[in-house]
Amino acid sequence: MQTWFPDFFDRHGALTVFDLLKDYLESGRIKVDRSKNPQKAAYHDPCNYGRKSLELFGKGYFDEPRWIMDQCMSNWVDLFPCRGNQYCCGGGGGTLLTPYKQERIHYSRKKFEQIRRAGVEMIVVPCHSCHGQLRAMAKEFDMPDLEVKYLWQVVAEALVIET
Amino acid sequence: MSQAEVEATTKDEFVIKEKAPLRPVQSPTDLCLGCGTCSAGCPMTGVEGFDPRRIVRMVLTGLDRELIDSKLPWLCTMCAKCEYACPMGINIVNLVRTARSMVERSRVPGQIHKGVEMALKTGNNLGLPTEDFVFIVEDVAEEMAEEEGFSDFRIQLDKKGAGLLHTLHNKLVNTQNEDLVHWWKIFHLAGEDFTIPRENWEGVNWGLFSGDNEAMKTLVGRIVEHMDRLEIKNLMYPE
Ligand code: SF4
Ligand code: SF4
Repeated sequence: MQTWFPDFFDRHGALTVFDLLKDYLESGRIKVDRSKNPQKAAYHDPCNYGRKSLELFGKGYFDEPRWIMDQCMSNWVDLFPCRGNQYCCGGGGGTLLTPYKQERIHYSRKKFEQIRRAGVEMIVVPCHSCHGQLRAMAKEFDMPDLEVKYLWQVVAEALVIET
Repeated sequence: MSQAEVEATTKDEFVIKEKAPLRPVQSPTDLCLGCGTCSAGCPMTGVEGFDPRRIVRMVLTGLDRELIDSKLPWLCTMCAKCEYACPMGINIVNLVRTARSMVERSRVPGQIHKGVEMALKTGNNLGLPTEDFVFIVEDVAEEMAEEEGFSDFRIQLDKKGAGLLHTLHNKLVNTQNEDLVHWWKIFHLAGEDFTIPRENWEGVNWGLFSGDNEAMKTLVGRIVEHMDRLEIKNLMYPE
């Protein structure tokens, strides 16, 4: 956007999913109840929002999603390694769209070692590629019950509906 | 080796190295120390000869054509774990992406390039006609409105002057309809004035993966076009 349409920002603003969720929560536009999400969960940093964003735009989204997790999950932990050194889900860079499934499974073993070590029943991601890959891989790695949810999904599930 | 093969193996020497954009740290590939940190940290190392240090060495020794013709660039997830750890800041992901961009389009594996072509032609990676798209989102929205607390929820496509433009990942419209509603629920309770484009609603840009800058630019341009045409205040970056 910055390179091809530099004048875009004279006319419009642009917000990331984290900006939006944080703003709604901070301003009180939405209310959440973290006791609605009691599962033991872990947050996975997608490469594009984490280290790649840090490199390209000087800002990695590491703290924002964790703050959002704090608001709407009552029992979550970090994987190790995490943040900039997080392991990729194994489905990035369009590899999910290639026919190399066996290679993808091999790649993800590192991710699943991490998930096992953390002992969680749910993994929360803000990325469609990660979501697709982790869901498919949970079966391959004998964790068919591992829940894979979007960050905005756990927010939506913790929403307090005032009637 | 035939003449054609000889030409094919020589004509691209050192092109990737020259062409690949440098990372903001401006670290030329020649600075590689050969330390292997990248390879040790990469989950794909060892698979069918894959190894990021090897990719860097191939680029440095002019084996461009071998790299371009191999499967290696497509095994990398471009996750940047290697370059995050690299002591010299070598731009490994850009080397891979540049190599991908030099692969003849008909030989790009799997769905990536086909999706790009479909998006350019029809406005979404699935090639879904507009009527079907409208039917699906309205149907899901109506179902959501039956849930407690959301009875006055309505979807407004192409709403002029909306506060926020929301694009959609094709898989939510395709096989994962149940996941469309999370954002809608949040928007509804937050009182967000959002809209979704009726056409060209695709939020995913596979040109990024195939190394196709022209296609990427066209697809981003369509979002800019929506924003201007509908006079929308904020764009929600595609998820
Ligand atoms: S980590 Fe960096 S310096 Fe070390 S081998 Fe890999 S590219 Fe070269
Ligand atoms: S960017 Fe590619 S080479 Fe580097 S660690 Fe990730 S998969 Fe391996």
